[in-house]
Amino acid sequence: MHIPDGFLTNRIAVSLDAVSAAGILYSAGRVKLEEAGRKVPMMGVLAAFVFAAQMLNFPILGGTSGHLIGGALLAILLGPMAAFLTMATVVIAQALFLQDGGLIAAGANIFNIGAVTTFGGYAVFRLLGGARNTGRIPAVAGFFAGWVSLLLSAATCALQMALSGAIPLRVGLTAMVGYHAIIGIVEGGLTASVLTFLARVRPDLVDSNSKTRLGIADWIGTLVLVALPCAILALAGGSELPDPLEKLLSVDHAAEQIVDPQKLTSAGRFGGYFVRSVLFVVLIGVAYLASRLARWKRSRS
Amino acid sequence: MDSCLSLRGFTTETQRAQTKRNNMSEYAVRITRLNYTYPDGTKALEAIDLDVRTGERMALVGPSGAGKSTLLLHLNGVLTGNGTVRILGQALDPKNLREIRRQVGVVFQDPNDQLFCPTVYEDVAFGPLNLSVPEEEIPRRVERALRDVGLDQSIRNRPSHHLSLGERKRVAIATVLSMEPAILALDEPTSNLDPRNRRHLIELIAALPATLLIATHDLEFVLALCSRTVLMDRGKIWADGETSSLLQDSALMEAHGLEVPLSLRGCK
Amino acid sequence: MRHNFIDRYANLDSPLHILEARTKLLAFTALIVAVLWIPAGNDFAFFAYFFLTAILMGTSQIPLMYIVGRTLVILPFIVLASVAAPWKGIAGLSVLFLRSILCLMLLIMLTNTTRFVELLRGLRKLGCPRILVLNLSFLYRYLFVLTEEVLRMRQARDCRRVCRGPMRGELKLLGSMLGTLLIRSFERAERMYQAMLSRGYSGEFQVLAPRKFTWRDLAFLAGVAFVIFVTFWSGQIAKVWTRVLA
Repeated sequence: MHIPDGFLTNRIAVSLDAVSAAGILYSAGRVKLEEAGRKVPMMGVLAAFVFAAQMLNFPILGGTSGHLIGGALLAILLGPMAAFLTMATVVIAQALFLQDGGLIAAGANIFNIGAVTTFGGYAVFRLLGGARNTGRIPAVAGFFAGWVSLLLSAATCALQMALSGAIPLRVGLTAMVGYHAIIGIVEGGLTASVLTFLARVRPDLVDSNSKTRLGIADWIGTLVLVALPCAILALAGGSELPDPLEKLLSVDHAAEQIVDPQKLTSAGRFGGYFVRSVLFVVLIGVAYLASRLARWKRSRS
Repeated sequence: MDSCLSLRGFTTETQRAQTKRNNMSEYAVRITRLNYTYPDGTKALEAIDLDVRTGERMALVGPSGAGKSTLLLHLNGVLTGNGTVRILGQALDPKNLREIRRQVGVVFQDPNDQLFCPTVYEDVAFGPLNLSVPEEEIPRRVERALRDVGLDQSIRNRPSHHLSLGERKRVAIATVLSMEPAILALDEPTSNLDPRNRRHLIELIAALPATLLIATHDLEFVLALCSRTVLMDRGKIWADGETSSLLQDSALMEAHGLEVPLSLRGCK
Repeated sequence: MRHNFIDRYANLDSPLHILEARTKLLAFTALIVAVLWIPAGNDFAFFAYFFLTAILMGTSQIPLMYIVGRTLVILPFIVLASVAAPWKGIAGLSVLFLRSILCLMLLIMLTNTTRFVELLRGLRKLGCPRILVLNLSFLYRYLFVLTEEVLRMRQARDCRRVCRGPMRGELKLLGSMLGTLLIRSFERAERMYQAMLSRGYSGEFQVLAPRKFTWRDLAFLAGVAFVIFVTFWSGQIAKVWTRVLA
């Protein structure tokens, strides 16, 4: 579900980059004010934990496998803002270490996997009364928090891909949301069982969150952060307005040639393309070999 | 890989500087009526009275859960209980915590908890950096600390997860030595070490000039290094005295879940 | 030890490895952005970037198979895109394909020519929030410890299991494994915090002296800027050139 570079239009990718950056700066500021010192090692260790947990694959019906996200669970345990920062760390680390998700697309990935799952999951948990009650309710609330968080995340991902013209909306939504509805059962189930386990063994960890009540300012901030990208996506994605950066660089779209498959198959044209492609590959191969074999003397400084 | 420097009978610069500082106050640690309760209500320490002289080597023995580690954490203010803790004459206070932490080095049981920087160098430099030691001085401190624990300088750029347990334990001690503390508190230094590494560790600790407080289950180690032993159990001090006579008291030992060490069993 | 999947080739010696982290962060990000902005018909620009990327790949001394292997990860996405939107045509898909491959290769080079520590320092110097950098550095360190723990837990589980149980039982088991792992992580975080406090940590994360910014960095940045300039203004340059010749 991590989107690589090139699949989203630049407008959408950059606007989500801006939103995620703003979100990170805001959360970084907020978490600092509380017991920052205590939280940082905890967030770092949990980031490693989520990173490792996300690499665990479990088999689902017939050959495919799914993996966990963990955003909802983290939000319930740490509070949504710290959880968001932790998940953002994980997404960035995945892009840097495993090239899972692109660099410019990182904003979109942080939004889908970091913001939507944590805030969405937390909201569902609180709405279902998970924070206040004991007994079975936190487990049930936890299940739905986990499940819904995946659905929301898949939906925003499909929306972004659709607005970029990469994958049409109907296909995207059914595929992604459908797939994640199934994986979501496992995520929800695990969220619930981990919460139950923790409530039994270390209840202080589960309760600690009820103390960090989100203020009005935070809820307003959350709404803005959610509404803004939706607005931007709606405007930018479907907009006929020219991309300001392209205007600056005087890019001429009219000059683009769309390759017509019929023209391709006519022998002469095809021959031309073939020769050019071969030349392309050869030149690049030469460039690569030349630089690889060039002996480089380390200058003594 | 382990470089086997013999440390006995070879004074380091660190030692000379330390001895000078130590001679200035008679009591390194004075604890009076210290009580501490965990957040969940269990009593961890009850009315602890303890005085440790400068340069003394004291062992803390007792069964698991006796409160040894908890006590060590009070020495540098990581945990605060009711009662007074005076380090080198100064009572613990939020204002002087930084200076206290410079003087008291605590080495934890699991080296993985203390090695959190990407390379060994950065871990050993972490302490001095936080204490605002000037930038030029840091490489020298790191070099000295690594030398004092008998590690080769080439280990500096390696990530700590590439090291063996014995090496990690030594690096953990180095991370504290680089701050040049007057007092060293070690929590189970020889646990999980193979015989050779354990021997090396004993030699290295023997050569350190600081005042030592060592919490351990390794009673032979205590016999070899510490002149004084304090027995703790259920948060209280039950015995405090000269090591071999205390450890030979089989009734006392067995009452508190310990045993007379093998090397002492013959001589009754 | 299976920890090498992260920055396996970051310790090689090459002209790229020697550059400061900030230089590489800026240069590669600029290149990735430039690639994403290449209009679909501009063959020359695509060629230029592939050429440049090939040169960079060669200079970096990273094994070709490794880069190719990493890049193949993209394929399922492209298959998905082509299956889902067949009307885009070969042109649309090939543009997608070329762009994503280029960006991925550039990203691989950025991360494999820079030691993670240096990368973090570069990020911090470029203004990344301290908490994020701190989190990333703890994540890096503790990933290794956690991976060992997970492996050990898996072994323990496999030793006590005769056959794969029903789904529900598996879930419960996974749940308690994860729960235990979570608790251990919390407890470790607490101990780590205590260790940090004991070594004088007061909230500020001090950074040791970084790599120096030399003429090489400047030259690299200038070179990259030049390539980007040329490819984007290639249209204009061609026009001016033909006018000059006429």
